[in-house]
Amino acid sequence: MRDYEIVYIFGPALEEEQVTERLDRFHGLLTGTNGGEITATDHWGRRQLAYEVEGQTSGYYVVEHFRAPGEALPEFERALKLDENVLRYLVVVNEGDLPTTPVPPRERREDESEDDSEG
Amino acid sequence: MRRAEDMRGRKVCPMCEGAVRNIDYKDEKTLGRFITERGKILPRRISGMCARHQRQVGTAIKRGRFLALIPYIAGHEA
Repeated sequence: MRDYEIVYIFGPALEEEQVTERLDRFHGLLTGTNGGEITATDHWGRRQLAYEVEGQTSGYYVVEHFRAPGEALPEFERALKLDENVLRYLVVVNEGDLPTTPVPPRERREDESEDDSEG
Repeated sequence: MRRAEDMRGRKVCPMCEGAVRNIDYKDEKTLGRFITERGKILPRRISGMCARHQRQVGTAIKRGRFLALIPYIAGHEA
């Protein structure tokens, strides 16, 4: 089981209801017997696209977090590709926070004066 | 530019300074600070980021581009 994050871009013609309907269908491929669970769903709604995708200038964005076994993904992604209303999608492994690097404290040089004039 | 910087020692990576732990590819406002008006990714000598953060930002920008949150090419509208 891994944590994933997915962003879907649906065609702009869809209403929220239709999007939810489709999401439910996709979820079926992850949950239930496949052992996954959806942990968060965030509808961004319609948004302007930065460039045209499949002739569309806007799209309906949805961001989701889910846990699922990797084996469930090929089937899930195939369903997404088959749906013409999904303009694009991106699945990434959610790795959480990355390690930080300690920042060395800003050291003041001795000859650094208040006026800070550099020649 | 660089010479003045060399004499003063390297500037600290802005991302490390803010202790940024997670660069989000969905946050197009933040990513926008690391691309030129043409949509190109800023090189490290301009962005001043450490190698690790530069790579993370680069990856995030490419993902953001794929998702049409930021343009691949910008600012050539006739």
